[in-house]
Amino acid sequence: MSGSDRLTSEHARRRGRRRLILRKVLGSILTLIFVLVFNFFLFRVVQTDPIGSLFRGRNVPAETLENLRTAFGLDKPIGTQFLFYLKETAQLNLGISYQTRQSVWDEIVVAIPPTVALVGVSAVLSAVIGTLGGVIAAWRRNTWKDQSITSGTMVFYSMPDFWLGMIMLVLFGVVLGWFPVGGMTDAGSNETGLALLLDELYHMFLPALTLTLAYLGEYTLVTRSSLLDVMGEDYLTVARAKGLRDVVVRNRHAVPNALLPVVTLTAINFGFVLSGAIAVETVFSWPGLGKATADAIRGPDLPMLQGLFLLFSAAVIFFNLIADITYSWLDPRVEEI
Amino acid sequence: MKRIVVVLAAAVLAVSMVPIASAQEEGDLVTLRVGLTQDWDGLNPALNFSVPSYDVWNLHYATLTDKAADDFATIPGLAESWVVSDDGLTYTYTLREGLVWSDGESLTAEDIAWNINTARDQGWDNMISTVQNLDATVIDERTVQITSSVPDPKLPTMDMYLVPKHIWEPIATDYDAATEYEAVDGVGSGPFILENFTKGQSVTMDVNPSYWGWEGEEPPYDRIVFQLFENPDAMVAALQQGELDVIHGFPAGSWDALEADPNIEVVSGLQGGFDQLAINGGALPDGQPHPALLDLEVRKAIFHGIDRAAVIEDLWYGHASEVEAISPSANPIWIPDIPEADSFTYDPDLANQILDDAGYLDTDGDGIREMPDGTNPIIIRHAVNTDGDLAPSIGELMVGWMEAIGIGVELEAYDQDTLYGVTAEGTYDTFFWGWVPFVDPDLMLYYFTAAELGNYNDSNWTDPTYEELYVEQNQELDPERRIEIVHEMLTIFHDAAVYLPMYLGPDLQAYRADTFEGWVKQPADIGPIVFSQTSPSYVLLTPVGGGAAGSDTNWLLWGGIAAGAVVLVGIFLASRRSGTKDERE
Amino acid sequence: MSLAMQRRRATAGRVWKQFRGSRQGMIGLSVLAIFIMMALAAPLLADVRELSPVYARAAGNPQWAPPGEFPPLGTDFIRRSVWAQFVWGSRVSLFVGLAATVLTILIGSIVGILSGFVGGRTDAILMRVTEWFLVIPFLPLAIVLASILGRSVWNIIFVIGITSWPSTARLVRAQVLTVKQRLFVDRARSLGGGGTHIVGHHILPNVSGLILANATLAVPISILTETTLSFLGLGDPTAASWGKMLEEAFVNGAMTRNAWWYFMPPGLGILAVVLAFTLIGRTLEEIANPRLGGR
Repeated sequence: MSGSDRLTSEHARRRGRRRLILRKVLGSILTLIFVLVFNFFLFRVVQTDPIGSLFRGRNVPAETLENLRTAFGLDKPIGTQFLFYLKETAQLNLGISYQTRQSVWDEIVVAIPPTVALVGVSAVLSAVIGTLGGVIAAWRRNTWKDQSITSGTMVFYSMPDFWLGMIMLVLFGVVLGWFPVGGMTDAGSNETGLALLLDELYHMFLPALTLTLAYLGEYTLVTRSSLLDVMGEDYLTVARAKGLRDVVVRNRHAVPNALLPVVTLTAINFGFVLSGAIAVETVFSWPGLGKATADAIRGPDLPMLQGLFLLFSAAVIFFNLIADITYSWLDPRVEEI
Repeated sequence: MKRIVVVLAAAVLAVSMVPIASAQEEGDLVTLRVGLTQDWDGLNPALNFSVPSYDVWNLHYATLTDKAADDFATIPGLAESWVVSDDGLTYTYTLREGLVWSDGESLTAEDIAWNINTARDQGWDNMISTVQNLDATVIDERTVQITSSVPDPKLPTMDMYLVPKHIWEPIATDYDAATEYEAVDGVGSGPFILENFTKGQSVTMDVNPSYWGWEGEEPPYDRIVFQLFENPDAMVAALQQGELDVIHGFPAGSWDALEADPNIEVVSGLQGGFDQLAINGGALPDGQPHPALLDLEVRKAIFHGIDRAAVIEDLWYGHASEVEAISPSANPIWIPDIPEADSFTYDPDLANQILDDAGYLDTDGDGIREMPDGTNPIIIRHAVNTDGDLAPSIGELMVGWMEAIGIGVELEAYDQDTLYGVTAEGTYDTFFWGWVPFVDPDLMLYYFTAAELGNYNDSNWTDPTYEELYVEQNQELDPERRIEIVHEMLTIFHDAAVYLPMYLGPDLQAYRADTFEGWVKQPADIGPIVFSQTSPSYVLLTPVGGGAAGSDTNWLLWGGIAAGAVVLVGIFLASRRSGTKDERE
Repeated sequence: MSLAMQRRRATAGRVWKQFRGSRQGMIGLSVLAIFIMMALAAPLLADVRELSPVYARAAGNPQWAPPGEFPPLGTDFIRRSVWAQFVWGSRVSLFVGLAATVLTILIGSIVGILSGFVGGRTDAILMRVTEWFLVIPFLPLAIVLASILGRSVWNIIFVIGITSWPSTARLVRAQVLTVKQRLFVDRARSLGGGGTHIVGHHILPNVSGLILANATLAVPISILTETTLSFLGLGDPTAASWGKMLEEAFVNGAMTRNAWWYFMPPGLGILAVVLAFTLIGRTLEEIANPRLGGR
């Protein structure tokens, strides 16, 4: 291949990649719009009188209620209401919670950091530990190491995650008393800065451990089978023939290629685990989005559920997009000359 | 070289983590940490009604008169003395000298009079029954005169929470603005002032040095934090681990474990609170129950089919008390004695008999009775209050109890706020909830009058005789005669079979003996120590040994984590080294 | 018996022989068989009246009794036999799991077959819908639907079915496309066979193996979802499922009392059933796709 040909194909590849990413972003936006439509109409069907529900039990004169209905555009045709909903959502005005009568967005915003912290740490830990396990299992395939890792993670993966949490809580919180039995911080303490952070980490230990154990099975299995696929390929035989130590062959050649699906899996999972921690947060009274969802179920606090649902969906769409883009960036076939 | 530095740094960090974990105690405000499981519905004293809100108000707003801890007797509050006119209709109160609001504004007779007159004119829900017949006039800065248009047995007690006129005046003339007002302005006159309110989480109150009750002395501690616990077990554990100083409303099942702890004292406080099974009485034209429930006989049968002893024994582990009629006051003398013959003893056979005799037979053999004309099977909607600990279990028991007498039950779950709306609209058949009355029975009795239909009259019931008697007791100045009238009213209410009091529910509370001392029961001997009528404990407490006790487990934990971290770092570094050597191909 | 039937019989026989030889498959099948038998034999194993707290009290049961005091599994906070709840709860959990999976598979297969076989515009539209459903976070969607529809067993089945079908649809579609490419479909066409005939006689038999494998792997998801929904309070309040047992244990302080006999059995039951289906599913997958064997 001549020099100028290489330059042209490199250029073309980069342009192609950019177009691909643009297409994916547009696709995500389209999906988000579908979610908005779905969200609006689903809750519209159920909330026959949102203003009435909001002011239930309050001695509010009928006239005030009517004025509010007009202010919220509830007397307009459904199409106009939908556009109003889009406009409000874009301004992060997601309505008012039935239970607390506070802005839904305010309630949600406060719950985001605890969940992101808990889920983030768990997602990273389960990805790292799970992948490590998968690597060892594949490399030592069909030995006792493989069996125990595969079976072990499969067992954790097959149990309800919140049940595992209950066991952890009873064993380490109640019986042994090593960890607190719930919440994110000690009640009424004035800690700030590092002390506060450490206290929060202390409270986060058990729920994070629960989520990590529950989900590392996925990574182990995927890494293992992906690695086994790759292990059959030629260039590894060449590397072995060159006399490189096993662990080097594994770490330098096999693993990076097998890691590709894991990377995308991690990104996708982050989006999903955000909403998957609902039951675990409830068990540990962890004040995040999951617990907010569990609380909203009790009313049911429809505006809260609507807002949370939108957020969860948006998160998944976003992280799927990241995963997609990351995959196309990392795909070795794109990198090969 | 780099490696050694990293290991050293890790070790230093690990070691330094340990002192940080325990140093947090020093230099902090001395804080009383209170755990509870019921959320505040809001902090507006004119409108909100949840039990926890009252303790915030007890601390934030001083009242004209106070109540004695041992027997609720009326004692001086903001007013240091008072005189009554000859006709018994006018009371003249003299305020203490130098009263100020927490923001420095003077607290004068003007504030008192304005509060009474405004609450009356605007019809503020929580105060209206106290002030509807009153008129207040300012005599001078420290003297206020209150005149009642009719004889009022409650006076001289004036325990309504007094809000700062200079803050509320702009919104006070609009009912909506006043009742929607969140009241978190932080201006009050009580011993502690609201500093922060996060609904669903916590309330923080800071000491108010200018409160008259400190009498110029240094307040014993600085701050109170009320912490809401989603999970009652977590609250119990927090007390056991020293993260709280006192808890209110722990599950009856935890009594034994708490009692066994040498550092913890348990309290079963009775202050007239009761829980009831309520039936929709059908007084609202738009909120009708199943037609069978409009028949008194059916309601009586239902009540005979409910096993109250089971609830006391199984759900309260024996810590609740039996009661036949509702309790309108923290003072037990107001509860009438209901003759055995009229009591709703648990007797499913009798219940079945009553229903058979009344013509509600199971004509199609499906186990559920129908109306006398054979249609409309009796299936009732039971509303479950998901914010109540026992409500779901009562719901399941209802299914079983009603099944035994041929009535079907459909359970519908609502949270507390929604349930309030449901009962106000009458879209239910039965539900389980409770009340905590005040000292004067008037307000509780008022709740079951026609005026409260669509609001607090949640069994949707009225009775003309009851209405008459209500007005009578409302103006009866002879204490003995008044008790008689109230007993008659409550007997009528009992016999109407719309409210079945399940038990007198104690407030189960526990406190750490090693952090604060001076807890006081209200009323004496039998009452609770916090969340009582005026919660006198708060101002009488003194810290034991200077502050909140920490927990011991922290040391072990941090030591362990630190050691583990050092080991991990060491292993990581060690494995890296061997890798680097071999990788040089 | 027609030639096609004979062939199918032979395939089934072969599959079974292979399955029997797989240790993991047989373990899974045995465990599942035990639980199914337990669910079917529930009336023989435990009196259904023991599920009622009113009956339990009348029978003089103690509260919070450990298994030693009240065999075989003790009692709960309101005197009910935990064993009775476990046995009868298995019915609900298994039934909901299976019924929801049937719904999932039904919807997913129809969409997948339609999409793959008809192709073109239909395919594009259906795939868009499928992808969109895949992106929606599954549990929040289930929660939202359950909150709106109300708490009953049928609503839960509907909700799970309606949120889980996309992955089945994708798998089935891929398989249908593969089958379509094979010669005999064209041959059947040239022989004059109509659409339904082709789907029924050629596509379905070649897809059914995959659908079966996918179904057995979908059951665990349905069961775990029902458990989670019940735990969050969305389950049918009158149906005693394992998830509901966990909810009641949690709410009524089983953890603080360390009443392990109350919350361990339902969790272990779920774990066992889910593992059983997973093992069976993996075995079927390996049989259908021999490349996976020996791993």
